[in-house]
Amino acid sequence: MANSNLPRRIIKETQRLLSEPAPGISASPSEENMRYFNVMILGPTQSPYEGGVFKLELFLPEEYPMAAPKLGRICLDILKDKWSPALQIRTVLLSIQALLSAPNPDDPLSDNIAKHWKSNEAEAVETAKEWTRLYASGA
Amino acid sequence: MDSEDGVHDTNDLESVDDDFYSGGTGSGTEEGEGDYDFVENDSDESDDAVSHRHQNYLILSEADIRQHQEEDINRISQVLSIPKVDACILLRHYKWSVSKVHDAWFADEESVRKAVGLLEKPIEMPKARELTCGICFEDYSHNKMSSAACGHPFCDTCWRGYIGTSISDGPGCLMLRCPDPTCGAAVGQDMINALVSGEDKVKYSRYLLRSYIEDNRKTKWCPAPGCEFAVDFVMGSGNYDVSCKCSYSFCWNCTEEAHRPVDCGTVAKWILKNSAESENMNWILANSKPCPKCKRPIEKNQGCMHITCTPPCKFEFCWLCLGPWSDHGERTGGFYACNRYEAAKQEGVYDETERRREMAKNSLERYTHYYERWATNQSSRQKALSDLQNMQAVQLEKLSDKQSQPESQLKFITEAWLQIVECRRVLKWTYAYGFYLPENEYAKRTFFEYLQGEAESGLERLHQCAEKELQVFIDNEGPSKEFNDFRTKLAGLTSVTRNYFENLVQALETGLRDVGSCNQLPPSNKASSSSSLHVTNTSGGKARVRTVYRPGGPSHSSDDSSHWSCDRCTYVNVNSINVCQMCSYRR
Ligand SMILES: [Zn+2]
Ligand SMILES: [Zn+2]
Ligand SMILES: [Zn+2]
Ligand SMILES: [Zn+2]
Ligand SMILES: [Zn+2]
Ligand SMILES: [Zn+2]
Ligand SMILES: [Zn+2]
Repeated sequence: MANSNLPRRIIKETQRLLSEPAPGISASPSEENMRYFNVMILGPTQSPYEGGVFKLELFLPEEYPMAAPKLGRICLDILKDKWSPALQIRTVLLSIQALLSAPNPDDPLSDNIAKHWKSNEAEAVETAKEWTRLYASGA
Repeated sequence: MDSEDGVHDTNDLESVDDDFYSGGTGSGTEEGEGDYDFVENDSDESDDAVSHRHQNYLILSEADIRQHQEEDINRISQVLSIPKVDACILLRHYKWSVSKVHDAWFADEESVRKAVGLLEKPIEMPKARELTCGICFEDYSHNKMSSAACGHPFCDTCWRGYIGTSISDGPGCLMLRCPDPTCGAAVGQDMINALVSGEDKVKYSRYLLRSYIEDNRKTKWCPAPGCEFAVDFVMGSGNYDVSCKCSYSFCWNCTEEAHRPVDCGTVAKWILKNSAESENMNWILANSKPCPKCKRPIEKNQGCMHITCTPPCKFEFCWLCLGPWSDHGERTGGFYACNRYEAAKQEGVYDETERRREMAKNSLERYTHYYERWATNQSSRQKALSDLQNMQAVQLEKLSDKQSQPESQLKFITEAWLQIVECRRVLKWTYAYGFYLPENEYAKRTFFEYLQGEAESGLERLHQCAEKELQVFIDNEGPSKEFNDFRTKLAGLTSVTRNYFENLVQALETGLRDVGSCNQLPPSNKASSSSSLHVTNTSGGKARVRTVYRPGGPSHSSDDSSHWSCDRCTYVNVNSINVCQMCSYRR
């Protein structure tokens, strides 16, 4: 139903995501709703998240691409006021990957982690590695 | 002499005037201008004064705003030799300051262009017959595509969606850039108008208009609900009072209602204080109090403070202090003193007044005193405003009929009511002023309370005359020959009250400089010092009412040879000193 009149742009973006995936990123649409994507991003090498796999859910709202994709609680300026309809799912996911290699404590995913990060970077990196090992590896 | 006679009262006030403001009334009138806009029709005002009044602000209608905006855009467009659309984008970026645009542009045009997104040389869209839209990924022929000056092509449908989304997000649409995230070229009003629906065009132009007022440091909207006028203010021109064409008066600086003679900081403190105390104060706003004599509840339904209990009691009392009204006139030799917090406290009036005392302990009691008077003047002002409207809508016509007077001859009544409204406003704020006047500045406080008391009583006289005495002529069956006397009396009271209040505002604004800044009374004498009345006769035969402050001891009169009374502030000084201890005036 939601899939029947999917805009051409979404179909094209989906085809490209599947045929030429960006390195370390996979995004596949759900079968029931083509606006709903299961995303996996590999922890970037030489980052605290190396070896981990991060699972995200991405949703394209009705107004997409005039409005940004919905991505849970991720803090990215391009998902808020810096969104432009000329950006794409691919650019968004690449930005998240970049965020994982250099987390920005001033624009945090989670307040706690950010505080942790600011006060003791070494310890936070350890925690991130630990979490990666526990929850995000071998998925 | 009969103190009920208004004309005589008038003279009292006038002489007080002359005594306390050495500069006379002439200079004061000019300074107080902004506040008293409604005096405009007065024939005896000089042209000079009238033009002075209008120099420090301009009221702008929507048409005026558009015209000013257009003129600024044209100026920048001509001087910088750039298209008007670009001039508009530049001006908005620099908060509509023509001079800032000039300075920035001629200092470093290149970096200004970069910051604002104005390309020096527009880039054409790619020449191909078919182009792919960067938003919908569809291919279109060249003529179905548009771009900003950067040449990045998007189809017209996507442009419409892009601009429409931005417009519905708010005034940020005025800073719209090319959708290409690497680009940043500005999207101006020409593109908006070429691409979007009529409704969105109107919204955009509305935001542009609002920005001209809201982003500009020297303009603001009138804060009255529903008013669409804006005010263009010339900074550094003295007082901040602005009177909008919608008749609302407000302070340009803090946008609260007009609050001379108190400053913006005091108003903010007072408003904060009121909201903190609002629970305690609710009971005060109740419009009924028990009659001090028969204890039946009396409702205050008229603007003035002189209340007469219903028959058979008919006790006449003052709404503020609940004391007998007979204590409030010149008849008893007493002056209007219910504004005086200290007096009320010392005389123990507060002990009797119902549950007031237990509700209002210590500091709250002091605050209660000032707040009640502030709030009462506020509601009296509201009442006077609606009376004025009723007067203009209904009563004047009736009166013109009954007294066979053309309505043009009844303007003095409207003027009296406008004066009452304005005086209630000033008086209201003098209570906030009094609340924050340091308690240890004894001389200032006493002088202030005297001036305020005179203001209360002068206004009370005017209010009573315009309210109750006028009613008689409206109720009369036919023309009354006393009507001309009434006209003289009311017009006289209006003018005297206006002068008095203008001087009062000025005196308070200058921080009662005349009184000297510190407390000259030794602390040990403070408790025993008293202020009393001192009546002298002048050569004109007018009775003068003055307060004389005595540093303790038995009363003296000013012709006592061991003392001299200061001509400026009336303080009684000892003869051995030639400079007034209060105000430093030389004998
Ligand atoms: Zn398109
Ligand atoms: Zn561009
Ligand atoms: Zn207005
Ligand atoms: Zn103010
Ligand atoms: Zn009574
Ligand atoms: Zn009273
Ligand atoms: Zn003096």
